[in-house]
Amino acid sequence: MAKRISGLQREVLQVYRHCIRAAHRKPLTNQPNFVRYIRTEFSKYRDISRKDFSTIEHLLRVGNRRLKMYSASEVKDIH
Amino acid sequence: MMMSGLLKKNVGRAVFRRGLASEVAPAAPKMKTFKIYRWSPDKPAEKPKLQEFQVDLNNCGPMILDALLKIKDEQDATLTLRRSCREGICGSCAMNIGGRNTLACLCKIDPDTSKQTKIYPLPHMYIVKDLVPDLTQFYQQYKSVQPYLQRKSVPEDGKENLQSIADRKKLDGLYECILCACCSTACPSYWWNQEQYLGPAVLMQAYRWLVDSRDQASTMRKEMLQNSMSLYRCHTIMNCTRTCPKGLNPGKAIAEIKKALATD
Amino acid sequence: MLSSMLRGSSVALRTVSARSLARPVGVSAMMSPIRLYSSSLNKDEISTRIIDVVKAFDKTTASAQVTNETHFAKDLGLDSLDTVELLVAIEEEFDIEIPDKVADEIKSVGEAVKYIETNPEAN
Repeated sequence: MAKRISGLQREVLQVYRHCIRAAHRKPLTNQPNFVRYIRTEFSKYRDISRKDFSTIEHLLRVGNRRLKMYSASEVKDIH
Repeated sequence: MMMSGLLKKNVGRAVFRRGLASEVAPAAPKMKTFKIYRWSPDKPAEKPKLQEFQVDLNNCGPMILDALLKIKDEQDATLTLRRSCREGICGSCAMNIGGRNTLACLCKIDPDTSKQTKIYPLPHMYIVKDLVPDLTQFYQQYKSVQPYLQRKSVPEDGKENLQSIADRKKLDGLYECILCACCSTACPSYWWNQEQYLGPAVLMQAYRWLVDSRDQASTMRKEMLQNSMSLYRCHTIMNCTRTCPKGLNPGKAIAEIKKALATD
Repeated sequence: MLSSMLRGSSVALRTVSARSLARPVGVSAMMSPIRLYSSSLNKDEISTRIIDVVKAFDKTTASAQVTNETHFAKDLGLDSLDTVELLVAIEEEFDIEIPDKVADEIKSVGEAVKYIETNPEAN
């Protein structure tokens, strides 16, 4: 914990933050669904090595693309 | 008369010969090795690898695309690639074959079975899966040059925007581009500055609208390119022209844009 | 387990957003050209509101005593992602957006209070 977080870790946290903020812009009743989805998607790769840069960078791209897609106001709910 | 007689004769002989050939023992298999780039997004932590496939060229079509589809049909259905027209008009099957960006459907299989053929996706692109590159950015760049006719006035007769034969000729060699992205992904400048440099394919389309006598937005089009990145990252390396599977010359189109901007 | 988590989170969200709805959002800042440096917010109020948000957060263990000194990771057992979520909840409580750089450094209730205190947009 005392270790300073790397630039890549910082990026992951930023994507997570933007995801959570986007979830909170969704209809109130469906917000927990979005939050649960975000949590499960991120936790899938919780155990990935912090040295595995190419994979993390790939996942960041995937995450950003999905964030863009689900941020659209037309998307009201997620399962 | 004579022709048809000749033809008939030939046909007769061909039939005769074919009859003989069927007696001969089946030809020995001509096994060709293909090494194909594999990577799956389902296992992102697994590194990409080259997978080897053997194909008997005796019962395979002549093109790389035929071999790929044969492998997909008979050996590994998970092999993923884009293809559609199988005749070089859709641009879907662009990939790097034997070190050169080209269309799998227009690229003949090298019959020399002692040599392996390596097949990779288009270089320096993010990969969706196996041989499928992510072209989102490429299409966005294409969109950014506004590739459509822009006019302030409509034709007086309410029908067509007319063009002289000479003006139409200027579009030859430009409009044929199928946007397969072979040229852009062969360009080192595009490799290093993909975010800002538009790349040969998109620049050639920018030029296609710039020289169109019917288009009235050329001032705006030129202004859009007047910066250090969009156009001027081209250093006339000419990989684009060398690799174009349609035999077009994006390098020249870019040079023409530079000329037009310089004399402005 | 999952459903209880869900219920918890929706409750947390509802309380937070109900509060931010009740408050006239940024009216004072919009109407007067002189920005009042959140004169309405004193340190104690900020700290009680933040502690409420922390307690309502569904990943916080209920028994945990939350004070100004509480450290998100050490005392509440939150990981970095949970902390991000908690900070977003605090953002909504005070109707602000904490810039990424600053948010990465906030690791305890006290640090959050200090940031809100110095943020003129908070209300």
